[in-house]
Amino acid sequence: MSFDIRLRINERIAVIELTGELDAAAAGRFHDTVDEAATAGAIELVIHAAHLSYLSSAGLRSLVFARQKMGDEVRIAVVGAPEPVARTIRLAGFDHSISLVDA
Amino acid sequence: MAIDYGPASTGVAHGTPPPGGFRVATDPAATVIRIPAALGALDRVATFVLGLGERAALPASALYRLRLAADELTTNIVMHGYRGAPGEITVDGGIDPDQVWVRFQDDAPAFDPRQGLRPPALDQPLAERRIGGLGVYLAFTAVDGFAYDLVAGRNVSTLVMLRRAEPRPPGGTDVSDEPTE
Repeated sequence: MSFDIRLRINERIAVIELTGELDAAAAGRFHDTVDEAATAGAIELVIHAAHLSYLSSAGLRSLVFARQKMGDEVRIAVVGAPEPVARTIRLAGFDHSISLVDA
Repeated sequence: MAIDYGPASTGVAHGTPPPGGFRVATDPAATVIRIPAALGALDRVATFVLGLGERAALPASALYRLRLAADELTTNIVMHGYRGAPGEITVDGGIDPDQVWVRFQDDAPAFDPRQGLRPPALDQPLAERRIGGLGVYLAFTAVDGFAYDLVAGRNVSTLVMLRRAEPRPPGGTDVSDEPTE
């Protein structure tokens, strides 16, 4: 099981690219990266999830953390999530607060 | 949401009901792993469950959900059962004619995972949500059956996924589950 995460920030738009499987063992890295984006003052967070093959509740917690840390005015989008991943996000009711794009 | 799952009709005449009320066969294909109670061992649970589900020819969606439930339940045992203390979790599973089952046994203090279940509070802003219990909620909604028993001081939890052609999830585009002629 592998997990990879990359962050880039351009003009205060933070883009996180997730690859692999995001379980509780990997969630700390996601949390830390979200924290880094928030601390950098990002006004928008775009999470590319097309290559995210698995997402557990531990990853969802980091999305809550992102919303808490960045505030309601920051748009958070999850882009291209595979159907099972998008289903988990919807089942948790997170799609009310986080934009699911191309999912 | 149905959580408790009564004795399942497996069609297996000589099955041995494990704790929790399920009737499962004494399956020669059943296997077992023992893992340390640590998040670093989650990948071993995933490998075990995915292998079991693939042998049972579970559709991709059911396979994903069984792995999700097993992953969440293991995480729950590590975080809320052992709470960082050293320990071991025994995971076994089997394939019956109409279902796949995965059973978890641990020696953490008695703890029924259902006590921690909390459906998401959809009416609350995300930033104000209490997130505890979400993993258990995802686990229980992912599978067809769950049972818990305390047996001689051991926590025993069993997940069941039925082996049946499942309806396509709303919006699903995966065509790999389509029956072929």
